[in-house]
Amino acid sequence: MSSVACRSGPGRLRVRLRHVRIPWQRLRADGRLLLHQPLGLLGLVVIVGFGLMAVAHPLLMATVWNRARFDPIVGFDPTQVPHPKPPTRQHLLGTDNFGRDVLSQLLAGARVSFGVGLIAALVAVTISTLLGGAAGYFGGLADVALMGVADVFVLLPAPVVLLIFGLLLRMQWPVVALAYGLLTGLGGQAVVVKSQTLTIKARPFIEAARIAGGGDGHIIRVHILPGLMPLTVVHAVFTVVGAVLTESLLSFFSRTSYYLSWGTMIWLGQETFRWFNLGGQWHVILPPALAIMLFCSAFYLVGRALDEVLNPRLRRQ
Amino acid sequence: MLRFIVRRVVRGLVALFLFQSLLFGLVHALPYDFSAFVLAPPDRRAFIQHELGLDRPLREQYVRWLSGFARLDLGTSYLFWPTPVSEVLFSRLARTLLLFLSAAVLAYLLGIWLGKVIAWRRGGLAEVGVTLGGVAAYTSFAPWLGFVMINVFGWYLDWLPYQRLINPNIWFNVPVAADVLLAALLVTVGLAFGGLLLVRQALRCVRARRWRWGAQAGVLLAMGSGAWWWWSRSGLGYLALDVLAHLALPLTTVVLLSFGETMMLMRTAMLETLGEDYVLMARAKGLPDKIIRDRHVARNAILPVITRLALNLPFVLVGSLVIERVFMWHAMGQVVFLAVEFQDIPVLLGVLSVVGVLTLIAHAVLDVVYIYLDPRMRYAGGG
Repeated sequence: MSSVACRSGPGRLRVRLRHVRIPWQRLRADGRLLLHQPLGLLGLVVIVGFGLMAVAHPLLMATVWNRARFDPIVGFDPTQVPHPKPPTRQHLLGTDNFGRDVLSQLLAGARVSFGVGLIAALVAVTISTLLGGAAGYFGGLADVALMGVADVFVLLPAPVVLLIFGLLLRMQWPVVALAYGLLTGLGGQAVVVKSQTLTIKARPFIEAARIAGGGDGHIIRVHILPGLMPLTVVHAVFTVVGAVLTESLLSFFSRTSYYLSWGTMIWLGQETFRWFNLGGQWHVILPPALAIMLFCSAFYLVGRALDEVLNPRLRRQ
Repeated sequence: MLRFIVRRVVRGLVALFLFQSLLFGLVHALPYDFSAFVLAPPDRRAFIQHELGLDRPLREQYVRWLSGFARLDLGTSYLFWPTPVSEVLFSRLARTLLLFLSAAVLAYLLGIWLGKVIAWRRGGLAEVGVTLGGVAAYTSFAPWLGFVMINVFGWYLDWLPYQRLINPNIWFNVPVAADVLLAALLVTVGLAFGGLLLVRQALRCVRARRWRWGAQAGVLLAMGSGAWWWWSRSGLGYLALDVLAHLALPLTTVVLLSFGETMMLMRTAMLETLGEDYVLMARAKGLPDKIIRDRHVARNAILPVITRLALNLPFVLVGSLVIERVFMWHAMGQVVFLAVEFQDIPVLLGVLSVVGVLTLIAHAVLDVVYIYLDPRMRYAGGG
C-alpha cells in the first residue's frame, strides 16, 4: 500500500479550481465513445428539447402570448368558457380549472425542474467530492469524521425525510433542491468518492509525483480531482433524476408549497377533479406527468451512457 | 477478526447516538406542537402541554427520550393516546409487510432476471426495449402511475377493486379481525416462498433435469394444495381472496416502480463480471451459454444486488408513503403521515429510529459477513 507518508500541513494545500488540469484529450475520446450509445444520445436529445422549452417560455411570453391570458400563474382567458377546456387552437394543451394555459405552465415548469436538478447536483457533488476526497486522501481524523457523518446520513434517505418535513415546512424549490443535495452528498455518495480516492491514491503515478517533489496541492489538483471526475459526472446526472422526482412528489403532496412546478400541476389537477374521473381531464394531468417521466428518463439514460463510457470495466473489448 | 467486530459495533453505536440526536433535533425543529391541533381553550391547551411534558426544557425531553429508547420504550402516542407507540406500529406491521415486503421481493426477482437477460444480449434490440421500459417505469411519477392503474384496471375495465384494504360489505359481521387474517396470509406466503427456496436448494444435488423439475412441481403442488386445504377448512378463504384482490393493484404498481433500479444494477454487475478471466475460461471449455450466464456470471454478479436489497429492506417498513396514500392502504406510511400532520412526536421518532436501527444492524452485519467471506478484505481491513 502507500508507504509514502502524507505530508499535510497548513499552507501546503492550495487548490484553486481553475488550476485543476482537465484532460481534454481523454474527454474528446470519451465523447467519441458516447456517440456509439444510441440510448444516451436519445436522452441528450430529449434534454435539449426540454432546455428549448425552458428557454421558449419567456420568449413566447414576450412576443406571442398575451400576458394576461397566458401567464402560468395568474393568467385567465375570459374568451374560453367553461374552464377546464380541452385543447383548442388558442390553447394547444387546453386550460385548467382556473383558466390558465396548460402549455404555458408546462414550459414554465421545465425551468423549475432544470433549476432543481442543477442545484441539487452541484451541492451533492461538491460536498461528496470535498468530504470523500479529503477523507480518502488524508485519512486519519478526516476519515473518521467523514465516516461518522456518512454513517448517520445513510440512515436518512432524502425522499423520505423531505416528504416528512415538507408536510409542515413551507419550502420553495431552491430549498428543496439544496436539502436533497445535502442529504445525498453527505450520505452514500461521499463514501463512494472516498473509496475511489483510495484506489487513485494507491496508483504508482501518485508515488512518482511525490518523489518528483509534488506537494499535496499539486497532487490533488493534477491527479486526484481529474481522476474523480468521471465518477462525479455520473453521480451528478443521477442526482438530477432523484432530485426532480423528489421535488415533484413534494410539490404534489405537501400542502405547504405553492410554487409552479409539474408536481403542483398534477396535484391541482387531481385535487379539483375526482381521482377516478381522469378521463375527462386528461389534458391537465397527462402533460406534466409525461414531462416528469421523460425528463427523468432522459437524465437516467444519459447517466447510464456516461457510466458505460467512463467505467473501464464496462467498456466493450 | 474479533477486534474488527468490536470496532464495528462501537462505530455503529456512535452512529446510532448521532442519528438519534439529529432526528430529535429535526423533529423538534418543526414549527408546531401537538396541542396546537387540539380544539380547546388556552388553559386546557396548556394543561395538555404540561401532561405530555411538552413544556419542559428541550434538554430534559431529549434525555427522557434517549433513556426511554435505551430501555426499548418508545413512549406513548399522542394521537392514539393511551396506546404505546410500539403497539401502534405493531398493529400496522402485517399490512405493511404483506404489501411492501412481497413487492420488494418480487421487484428484486424480476429485476435480477431481466438484468441478467439484457446484460447477456448487450446492444441488441431486446436490451434497448427492456431498458427503455424499465427506466420509464422507474422514473414515472408514482401517484400518476397509481392513478393510471386505478383508472384503467379499477375503474374503466372494472377488474379489480381499488382503494382500501378490504371490502366492508364482505367483511360485515365476520368473526376475525382483518389484521389477524392479514398476518395469517403473510405467514402463508412466507412459508410458501421459504419452502420453495429450501426445495430448490435441496434439489440442487439432483443432476437429472427432468427429475428436478418434476420434484419441484410436485412440492409446489403439495404446498399449494396444503394452503388451499387449510384456508378452505378455516372457512375464511373468501376473505383472503378479497384481501388478495385488493392487494393486486398496489402490488403491481410498487413492483413496476422499483424493478428498474435492480435491473440496471444487475446489468452493470453482470457486464463487469463478464470481463473476468474465469468467464473466458468457461467459454474456452465449451460450456453452454446458459450455464456460463447463470452459474458463472450471475452468481458472482448478484452480490452487490443482494447487498443493496439487504440495506434497503428496513425502509420497507416506512413503505412507500406515496403508494399508501394513493391506494388508501392504511399501513405504516399512513401512520407517519398522521404523525407528521398532528405532530405526534413519539410515533414519528419511533418509526424513524426503528428503521434507522434496523439499517444500522444491516450495515454492520454486512460488513462483518463480507470480511468473513472475502479473505482479501480480511487481511486488508481486519487488521
